[in-house]
Amino acid sequence: MIEITYDVFARKKRGCTLHHIGYVDALDDETAKVYAWTTYDEENWFEMCVVRRSQIIPVNRDEGPFAKTSGDAA
Amino acid sequence: MSAPISVEALSSEGRAALERLVVGLADSKRIMGIRYSDWVVGAPSIETGIATSSMTQDEWGHARLLYAMLKHLGVDPVEVEHNRGADEYANLSLLDEQFENWAALVTAMVVLDGALSVVLRGFSEGTFEPAGLRVPKMLAEEQFHVSLGFAWYRRLAAASDEARSLLRDATDAQLPATLAWLGADDAPAKVLVELGVMPTATALTTSFQESVGDVLASCDVDVGAVEPASDWDSARGRATGRPDAESVERARGDRNRSLFVE
Repeated sequence: MIEITYDVFARKKRGCTLHHIGYVDALDDETAKVYAWTTYDEENWFEMCVVRRSQIIPVNRDEGPFAKTSGDAA
Repeated sequence: MSAPISVEALSSEGRAALERLVVGLADSKRIMGIRYSDWVVGAPSIETGIATSSMTQDEWGHARLLYAMLKHLGVDPVEVEHNRGADEYANLSLLDEQFENWAALVTAMVVLDGALSVVLRGFSEGTFEPAGLRVPKMLAEEQFHVSLGFAWYRRLAAASDEARSLLRDATDAQLPATLAWLGADDAPAKVLVELGVMPTATALTTSFQESVGDVLASCDVDVGAVEPASDWDSARGRATGRPDAESVERARGDRNRSLFVE
């Protein structure tokens, strides 16, 4: 089954910086939310969100994970 | 919601019916957690394995809270958790044995876990006050189980013929007993309705059908056309039978019992 790579962002408390904390491979947006919440549960996050890696636009680098969209069929 | 019931003022029938309900829910959560744990290793991806591990923890946490409610009925939860035989377990009968494949577990997320949530929602809105205090957090955690189950069910239904066939077989196997459990209208169930502790069996069944109807339709299943099973053990509030010996040993914590510290 084709999986999509999602990057996971979270902040610990209201007003804290939103950090990139990892990624998950998921079937769709709904499973990405579940996988992110259950995989990165080391903190009691105030806020967490996921972004399809294919939707991230690199600004100054042509290499690295955000410059590729491998595994994302969307 | 009506005024909370006074447990001290309950008749013996009312107390027994409430105990049957709580033990049935707690046992189902305990064994459901074991069934999820069976797939922590062997799930289709690392992320899915982690999710089933998290769901295992959720279910066992819910079981612990439900067993603790027995204190309100003058029942020792430790005895119930650790010292019963398999014949006394009141879990949903479909949890008696391991699920043979991932499609069956996905179906259980939708059908069995879904039915448990419908009953818990009704319980939380009823007149037994401890349920109103404890159950809403369980239902919030269950939202993740629903999301995962629905997404996987729809994905498998649209996948290969083999995946779809396994999904359909599991659904056909799980629905009749689940509908019988939800639709139980025996004397203890009626007592709970009269006390305002639970909605009617018809209301529970309708709520379940509405919650899972669309997702099951993705595998061409019409939940409204499925007949409930007739097999029923009124004493435990479940079908006849019992969980397998290994599952009961795991649920009771038999291994390393000598190290048990209360």
